[in-house]
Amino acid sequence: MIERRKMISLSLLVTCGLVLHIIENMIPIPFPIPGAKLGLANVISLLAIVIYGLKEGLMVNILRCLIGAGLTGSAASLLYSLSGAILSTLMMALFYKYFKKVFSLVGISIIGGVAHNFAQVTVACIVLSTFGLYVYLPFLMVTGLFTGIFTGFTAAYLYKNLFAALLKINLPGKERIKNEAKLS
Amino acid sequence: MLTKGDKILIALIIVSAVLIFTGFQMYTFGGERTYAVIEINGRLFQKISLGKGGPILQLKVPGIMGESIVEINRDKVRMLYSPCPDKDCMHQGWISRPGQMIVCLPNRVVIKIQSESTPNDQLDGVSF
Repeated sequence: MIERRKMISLSLLVTCGLVLHIIENMIPIPFPIPGAKLGLANVISLLAIVIYGLKEGLMVNILRCLIGAGLTGSAASLLYSLSGAILSTLMMALFYKYFKKVFSLVGISIIGGVAHNFAQVTVACIVLSTFGLYVYLPFLMVTGLFTGIFTGFTAAYLYKNLFAALLKINLPGKERIKNEAKLS
Repeated sequence: MLTKGDKILIALIIVSAVLIFTGFQMYTFGGERTYAVIEINGRLFQKISLGKGGPILQLKVPGIMGESIVEINRDKVRMLYSPCPDKDCMHQGWISRPGQMIVCLPNRVVIKIQSESTPNDQLDGVSF
């Protein structure tokens, strides 16, 4: 049974992710690499992982993908976005849990961006049953790197500014944040 | 804000991307057999295998307007001379990669590069 406060804050995170997801769909991509996008919603999934953890991060991200596909009408690309979201959330949570001291949020976000693109290319290869699509992988890795840096900085600033707000209202992430404050 | 680990990660990703890219370049453009397929008016005229041990020759191709000369140099092909008025086919220069082609519409001569793994009926693109 999820606590009510937590449920509300998680649904707020899903909503923020959805808005970013929809806005991102409106931004045209200036270069012709299929699958390259800004990944703004990654900010929200990273935040969910940092505040709550893996399970909640997965929940927020999967919900965001499902509802987002329905809202933007791109149900055919659901397979790609869902696989990318799941793999990137898993990787980000893993690295955040075990390598927190090595990587900052920017590094975690880069890992998420690259993992997202890798999952998408792999699923596209399975769907089209050719391995030739891995030719795109280096380009997608580099775009994932740069968008990862961008979303990582955004998430880091957001987290820093949410820090005070989260301490004021009694969110269940409070204990975790207190512990982190002691560490740093 | 960037830690040392972040910088190492960024460098690692860029290096691995470059490695994968060069790996694909060597794999796709070094290992495969390629062919130059010359068609006149839609019908196959000659199919010549290219590569490092490929031929160096000049081929006379009888088109609709007159004789074009196609030059083959080991792994690349160009239109050396064409009787057509605009000479676009000659200005295109050498082609060597699978999928490239030189089309001379007035003379109805088409030179295509094909490889064993890319058949004619390959998909151009798939969109979802």
